[in-house]
Amino acid sequence: MRHTLCVTHYVTAGELMVVDPELFESMRLELRRGSLVLAVLARLREERYGYTLRQALASDGLEMEESTLYPLLRRLESQGLLTSEWREEEKRKKRFYRLSPMGEAMLSALTDEWRGISASLDRIL
Amino acid sequence: MDLIDRYLNAVAAQLPQDERADIVAELRDLILSRFEAREEELGRALTEDEQEAILHEIGHPLVVAARYRKGPDSLVGPELFPYWLFAVKAGLLLMLVIQAIVLFINLISGPADAGQSIAQAFHGFFGAGLALVGAATVAAAIFEHYGVRPKWLTNWRVKDLGAFELADPAAWGASVGGTPRVKLWIAPKVKVKAWPGGEYLFSFLATGLFVLWWIGVLHFPGLMHVDLRGTNADVTGAPIWTTLYGAILFYAVAQMAIDLASLARPYAVRMRAAAEAAISAVGLWLTYTIFEAGHWFTLNRDGETARIAGDWTMLDFDRLRGIGEGSTDLTGVASTLSLIMTWVLAIVAISLVFKIAANLWRLVQPEARPAA
Repeated sequence: MRHTLCVTHYVTAGELMVVDPELFESMRLELRRGSLVLAVLARLREERYGYTLRQALASDGLEMEESTLYPLLRRLESQGLLTSEWREEEKRKKRFYRLSPMGEAMLSALTDEWRGISASLDRIL
Repeated sequence: MDLIDRYLNAVAAQLPQDERADIVAELRDLILSRFEAREEELGRALTEDEQEAILHEIGHPLVVAARYRKGPDSLVGPELFPYWLFAVKAGLLLMLVIQAIVLFINLISGPADAGQSIAQAFHGFFGAGLALVGAATVAAAIFEHYGVRPKWLTNWRVKDLGAFELADPAAWGASVGGTPRVKLWIAPKVKVKAWPGGEYLFSFLATGLFVLWWIGVLHFPGLMHVDLRGTNADVTGAPIWTTLYGAILFYAVAQMAIDLASLARPYAVRMRAAAEAAISAVGLWLTYTIFEAGHWFTLNRDGETARIAGDWTMLDFDRLRGIGEGSTDLTGVASTLSLIMTWVLAIVAISLVFKIAANLWRLVQPEARPAA
C-alpha cells in the first residue's frame, strides 16, 4: 500500500490548515526509515529470498524499493544479524536470508525499544 | 546482449570487484522474478518497453550500485558539515577581504585601468574561492572515508572559540575596529605602484604562517594527532624532515623574500622570474630528496605503528584507481595516505618543472611595464 497524500485539511483550534504534501512525504519517510529494519528482521524469522520478502512486507503495508531492501539485507548480514545461503528454487539460484541467533537477540531488544517508544508516543499523542 | 545484461553490466562496473558477482547474481534473480510476475499478470511475454519500465522502477544503475557502498554516502557528512561550512565561509571571507584591500590599494594608487583591477580582483577571488571549496571538500571526504577526527574537532575548549567568530564579518569589526592597526590598513600612508594582483600578498602571508609553525612559534593543537575510529593515533615525522629542516626553512623564507620584493616592485618581471626559477629549482630538489627518502611519516596507535612511505612503483594509475578500496585499520589508512603522499609529491614536482619552464620563458621575453 503506497501512502499518497494530495492535499489534506486539518482543523486546528478552529482554523482550517492545509498540510504541505511534499513536507508531509519527507517527514513520513523520515518517520518510517528506522522502523523498516525492524520489519525486515521480524519478517526474516522465517527464511525468505529478497523478492518474496519484499512481497511479504508490501502485503503488510510496508512497501520498500528493491534498491533499498537488497543493500539493507547485505548490510544486516555483514553485521552478523542475518545468515544467507544460495539455493536453487524454480530452476533458478536464489539467495535465502534468515535471522541469525544474534539477529534474534537484536530483534528482541529492538522490539522492546519500539514498544517503549510507541507507548510513550501514545501517551503524548 | 539483452536488456538485463546491459543493465547489470552498468551496475557491475560501479561495484567493488570482490562483491560484484554476488550482487549481480542477486539482482539478476530479482529482475527475472519481477519479469515473471508481470508476465503472469498479463498472461503473455513482456515487450522490450515493458521490461525497460521494470528496470526503471528498480532504479538507475548508478543509484542501485551506490546503495551497496559501504563507505559514507556523502563527501561531507552531517557531523563534519558544520566544520566544513565554517572553513569555507571563513576562508572565503578572508580572501574577499584580501582581494578588497588589494583592489582598494590599486584604485587609490592610480592605475590606468580601474576596470581591469576590478576584473582581476573578481578573478582572483573566484579562482582562490573555488580552490578553497575543493580543498576543504577533499579534506572532509578523506576524513569521512577513514573515520578520522582530528583532535581539534573533539577536544575543544571554550576559551579557544574566538577564532570561530571569523565566519561573521560583523564580529571582525567589533573585535578589531578602531585599533591603530585597522586604521593603518584603511589609510596606507605609503603610496605604492599598482599591483598586478593579490597573489604575492596571499603567498607571503600563507608562507609566513608556515614558517612560524615550522620554527615552533605557532602551534596548531591536534595537528599531529588523529582520532581514528574512536582511538587516538599520533603522527610523527620521519627523519627526512629533520635532515631537511634548514633547507625547507631557507626555501620558505626565500619564497617570502621574493613575494615581498614583488610587492614592492610588481613590474620587475625579469627579476621575479629569475628568482622564482631559482627557488623553484630548490623546491624541485627538496621534493625529489623527500620522495627519494621513501619514508615520510609514522602513524602510532597503542604501540602499533604504520609507516607512510612510498616509491616509484606507487606512481601507478591502477593503484590510484583502487584508492577507496583499502581497509580502514591503521595499516590500511597508512597505505592509502602513502599513495596520496606519493602522488602529491609527484604532482608538486611536475608543477615545479612547469614553474621553472614558465619563469625561464619570462626571462627571455621583453619586460612589460604599465602605461604611466
